[in-house]
Amino acid sequence: MRELNVEALARVEGDGGITVTLDGKKVKSVTLDIHEGPRLIEQLVKGMTPADDLNVIPRICAICTLSHRYSAIRGLEKALGITPPEKAQLTRELMMLGENVESNSLHTFLLALPDFLGYPSAIAMLNDYADDVKRALRLKKYGNHVMAVTSGRIVHGENPVLGGFGKYPARKALEEIKLKAHELVPDAVRAVELFASLEYPTYSEADMMFMSVNAPKKSFGFAGDNILISNGKEVSAEDYKKLTNERVVTHSFAKRSLYQDGTFTVGANARMVNMGKRLDGQAADLFKEHYNDRWLKNPLYNNLAQAIEMLWSLEHIPDAADQVASMEDPATAEPTRQTGSGTGAVEAPRGTLYHHYEIKDGLIDVADIITPTAQNLDDIERHMKLTAERMLSEGKKDDEVRLHLEMVARAYDPCISCATHLVTLKRI
Amino acid sequence: MHKLRDSPGDAEEDLTARLGRIAGKGKVYVLGLGNVDRADDGAGVLVAKDLKESFPDYSFSEHDGVEGTVLDISERREDSVVFFVDASDMRLEPGAIKVIDRREIKETEISTHRVAVALMASLLERGGKRSAVIGIQPRKIEFRGEMSPRVMRAVDAVARALRSLMESNNR
Repeated sequence: MRELNVEALARVEGDGGITVTLDGKKVKSVTLDIHEGPRLIEQLVKGMTPADDLNVIPRICAICTLSHRYSAIRGLEKALGITPPEKAQLTRELMMLGENVESNSLHTFLLALPDFLGYPSAIAMLNDYADDVKRALRLKKYGNHVMAVTSGRIVHGENPVLGGFGKYPARKALEEIKLKAHELVPDAVRAVELFASLEYPTYSEADMMFMSVNAPKKSFGFAGDNILISNGKEVSAEDYKKLTNERVVTHSFAKRSLYQDGTFTVGANARMVNMGKRLDGQAADLFKEHYNDRWLKNPLYNNLAQAIEMLWSLEHIPDAADQVASMEDPATAEPTRQTGSGTGAVEAPRGTLYHHYEIKDGLIDVADIITPTAQNLDDIERHMKLTAERMLSEGKKDDEVRLHLEMVARAYDPCISCATHLVTLKRI
Repeated sequence: MHKLRDSPGDAEEDLTARLGRIAGKGKVYVLGLGNVDRADDGAGVLVAKDLKESFPDYSFSEHDGVEGTVLDISERREDSVVFFVDASDMRLEPGAIKVIDRREIKETEISTHRVAVALMASLLERGGKRSAVIGIQPRKIEFRGEMSPRVMRAVDAVARALRSLMESNNR
């Protein structure tokens, strides 16, 4: 028996590693081991008021901070019977577009691309791809700016509140982000063209199941009350437990999810599979040009999906900014009850994020958060195992196998910090 | 937070002198890194906040968007140096301070959280700018923990040294 290890999985958020256990030439198991400690967030917020909860929950992650805040707001507003005004909903959509650009630009250009181009890191890419590194930084800076304009700060902004916004973005700031979005579209198109030109290894390919929110009005988007499954079913987000079926494994501080005893994928690729036909603009043209059946089997296509999605987000920011600017600031909507339950579902850059709350007499009694990475972990392991089996049967060297395993894991853009927000660990 | 090899810390007078040698006559920028929600990990952000009031155009932190700031500085036509201030596990006593040459920083710390310091330093170098990391040894980085008194004193010492340099170079 021998082990093939990737001790520290680089270019993902948080502390994780990969272990492949081999029995002779047979792959016994492939595990993505999460070393990052649990944060016990859900227990921490029990007994808090919903407003206090919103100050704690986004701290789960500094990169998906607005997704966490938005998902929590959606869950809490449902629980408290709050209907947010239209301007609040549009401003929330705008902030999610910014977060998508911020996150996808970093992941595509700087975290995923080096593997495909044969560089150990983005730093090594600088000599030959300095323009692309700068593109990534420009796009990330812009995404951060949209997040700051809408939420009040780049990280852990506090403007989005229950029932609306503490402060809505100023018209001048909205005009600026609108103009800048037009300028940056070519950078996003470059990302799509670059990722469409890459060769995607076939080792990890297998039939996949995809889940994402069903954005309202048959549009593409990052929030919804129902979940679309690529088998054609649609389920209310309130039934999230039937979709995720969380469980604990011994090698990881993060929980795992299975749907009907099978693994599934959330993230940009899932959004493209489920809602790609709803894209518009140049993003739609490029999606039609590059989408094919391999997207349904190969997790590496998540990188190209993220690039197309980033372009769509940039193309939509001007219209979203115009709509927000055209409205007067409404009053914040108030709760209509103090006891109730509700589930928020949004699409964080790396997949569907659920926040479920049960509130009794104005205080949080139960909080349950299911992160995209926790949902993807079983799927990551499945595709890594296939990769290891196929590569080792072809006699590939350990270093090459390691690289391809890392590529599969990184393609899901995992956020280990998010995934370790809470777990009860039982060692056998 | 960075991880570094074993090395002794710098005394405060050595720190001031070392920073001065790196900066020369160039404009001094400070970029405070870390997470204030994780106890001592927020040391760099606190240094930058301390300096922000006096030097709003030269002191930045995670809350200002580090990558965009570095990109802007790298493209400016001026003689300048960027000091990244961050909690760094140098296996020293808590609160120890050490100026670290950018080449000693591991490249593997790049993550979805933000772009690696090593990448930002390389980008600055391509734009003719100098950079270094001022590491502060943390004692604890637990989520929602309090900052250790010794690390707090180190934050003050680093801010004093940088303030003195910025007052002479940036005014």
